Amino acid sequence: MSVDARFIGKTYGPLVYEVGKEKLKEYARAIKNEDPHYLDDEFAKGSKYGGLIAPPTFAVVYAGMLAEPFFLDPELNLNMAMIVHGEQEFEFLQVVRPGDTITSEGVIADIRNKEKLDAVTLEGTSRNQKGEVVCKSRFTFVIRKG
Amino acid sequence: MADRQIKLGDTFTAQEVVDRYRTVYYAGASGDFNPIHIDPEFGKLVGLGGVILHGLCTLGFVAKSVTDWSGDPGALKRLKCRFAAPVHLEDTVTTEAKVSKVEGSKAQLDIRVTNQDGVEVLTMTQADISL
Repeated sequence: MSVDARFIGKTYGPLVYEVGKEKLKEYARAIKNEDPHYLDDEFAKGSKYGGLIAPPTFAVVYAGMLAEPFFLDPELNLNMAMIVHGEQEFEFLQVVRPGDTITSEGVIADIRNKEKLDAVTLEGTSRNQKGEVVCKSRFTFVIRKG
Repeated sequence: MADRQIKLGDTFTAQEVVDRYRTVYYAGASGDFNPIHIDPEFGKLVGLGGVILHGLCTLGFVAKSVTDWSGDPGALKRLKCRFAAPVHLEDTVTTEAKVSKVEGSKAQLDIRVTNQDGVEVLTMTQADISL
């Protein structure tokens, strides 16, 4: 069964994520990134940022949270057994720092029905506690038709 | 990096080996516990021949190659890719980037991401940086 295109425009969130320093470090190490901007407090104090920052792709954590209500949306009724991550795009507008509170809102930006698959794009906008957009994300999932 | 000059055609490469426990670390750090990434039996059952690496971890490797090269993580402004083929444990992921556009302090990179057999695991990979 195809994903109904009438769900374009459906929104998810807002979801709030508080950025923790140790979580940033854990994430950086998981992607094998030992850049001192993320891990070394002393180095970071002397950097242009004046303190630790998050690896840009840490967005997968705070913006990626939007995927859960989207995947579990009973109305959308995605076939989770047939879903794969097709494409990803991030736009990074501000650095994210430990202690930031990031609020993310998602919207279904596109649904394309093809013969053998549906492609659904979830677009996220994440803002920090000052209201600045830190990241725009586009997650495109492909659902193969069984 | 104020005096860093980026020229059209500049290139860099980077390589990461996916150790046997990488998907476990990444699952914990990212919160993505999809069984295709952590349960080899499940991975076999769904025809993947075992667990596969999170696509966003591969993209994380690419981001690292770009920020290592630019020297400033905040210089990365945009990153995109298509997930074209699965990455397995003990694969070697190679990133080859080329500056395809320069406009003042901004540059666009076209990036090729392959495994040890030359298979492109990510396609349409691009990054924008602004120094």
